[in-house]
Amino acid sequence: MIELRNVTKEFKVGANDKVVALKNINLRVKKGEIVLLKGPSGSGKSTILSLIAALNKPTSGEVIVDGKRVSKLADNFTSLFRRENVGFIFQRYNLIPSLSAKENVIVPLIPSNPDDDWLETRLRELFQNFSLESKMEVIVKNLSGGEQQRVAIARALINNPKIIIADEPTANLDKKLSLEFIDILKKLKNGHNSIIVASHDPLFFDLDFIDRQIDIHNGEIL
Amino acid sequence: MLLTPEIITILALDFIFLFFGTIAFFISINIVRFWNLNSTSNRQYKLEKQSFLVSTIIKYIFIVKLPLFLFFIFTADKLSDIIIGAMCGAGVVNSVSFGSTMFFFKILNLYIFGFWLVLNHFDLKNENQPYTRYKFLLYCVGFIFLLIELYLDIDFFSSLDVSKLVSCCGTLFSAASSSSFSFIFTVNKLYFVYIFYAVFALLLISYIFKNALTILSLNVIYIFISIISLIVFFGTYIYQLPTHHCPFCMLQKDYDYIGYIVYITLYVGTFYGISGAIMSLLERKQEKFYYNISVVFNIAYAAIISAYPITYYIKNGAWL
Repeated sequence: MIELRNVTKEFKVGANDKVVALKNINLRVKKGEIVLLKGPSGSGKSTILSLIAALNKPTSGEVIVDGKRVSKLADNFTSLFRRENVGFIFQRYNLIPSLSAKENVIVPLIPSNPDDDWLETRLRELFQNFSLESKMEVIVKNLSGGEQQRVAIARALINNPKIIIADEPTANLDKKLSLEFIDILKKLKNGHNSIIVASHDPLFFDLDFIDRQIDIHNGEIL
Repeated sequence: MLLTPEIITILALDFIFLFFGTIAFFISINIVRFWNLNSTSNRQYKLEKQSFLVSTIIKYIFIVKLPLFLFFIFTADKLSDIIIGAMCGAGVVNSVSFGSTMFFFKILNLYIFGFWLVLNHFDLKNENQPYTRYKFLLYCVGFIFLLIELYLDIDFFSSLDVSKLVSCCGTLFSAASSSSFSFIFTVNKLYFVYIFYAVFALLLISYIFKNALTILSLNVIYIFISIISLIVFFGTYIYQLPTHHCPFCMLQKDYDYIGYIVYITLYVGTFYGISGAIMSLLERKQEKFYYNISVVFNIAYAAIISAYPITYYIKNGAWL
């Protein structure tokens, strides 16, 4: 379970000014739940995601994941936490353009040096699930937008994360590819992962497989 | 003030240490006073961020200080060319009344800052950061010593006088010297050799039984007895002169810079022994990695300095 307790996040702007990105947020996401964070740009959606993923620390309050106070972890432990628990799907895919699809998917596993046989099986499974078997060795910059998005999803899933975070995942996709992504998202719901999507794309608003929709405005949950 | 490029370099780095060290000192005081890892307040998160900043500063100070110490010795040695009467760094360092005190603080700070890094490593290895307060408290103490060292450094370089006649190392390290350590030359030098080997043997035995307090005490004793026995006995075989006891001359090219190897080996061996023992006491488990490094370097030190009299005896069939 993911829990945000009285979380406030401020960013310094210049010497004396500050922007309050989140104001005393309290939020719980249960195991297996898919939650949509919606709200206009600058409302604080991405800030919440970055706090859950321990990419950032709150100004006050705390973030707890499966009983672990991730906001209190030192940097060396937050890296480990992300590596073992979090899969990221970014708006711009954030793939390494000069590497092949397979190499991009392996990247998050490099520090843990996994067993070769396990890795081969896992890669085959993921690439089959996303209909990318024939694209494994293709350099990602030569793939279409939709294929790149699927490679990015495969990369997010390679380590079987407990938490999948998707930040504006359809912002760069046309409607057809966005629906394709939504279809993949539906398949990812398996009761074991918590999935948190931040988006202001109306395509997400009426989906029946999304457990909860949370409106965020000016850093506050409505 | 005598300003050679080497002195300017040392003083410039001293001022950088002073600037960043002072920032780190004031933040450290706040961390010692207000640190509470369980708190989710703004102040605690700020302290957590600042603790990383301070850690970076202290790491930087130590990483630069370690080679700077060797550079200081090199500089002192080089200055002996222009200070009348000085034959090596010893004459230059002792040309001021506080030379030995300055040197003592330089060595002490290397141990303190080095140990700070060890404590920091253990602190960050644990999610609960159990040593945060202790390590910043240690830094506050270390900073006071650092200030003393920096003050003495500046005072030392500004007191150097090329027109003043100073004693050479042959006079300084003899029974005739008025220095506080001249008494060591009035005692039979073999006593120190016996004590050195006895402490060394006890040290090896203590590593087998892994009693942290014994290892700690013996390593501290080992530092002192090693330096004394080096001055009164082993050094004379490095120079192959029974009357030459200087601990600095062996750092010169004439002796293949062997002094650097000797002192670095002694520092690493005792540093790991002391740090490992303190961490064993704090962690309540044996720090074998630290002990193993300590054993290797302490043995290496004993082997290097023993090799000189043994080689001399084999070659000449007699002791000095």
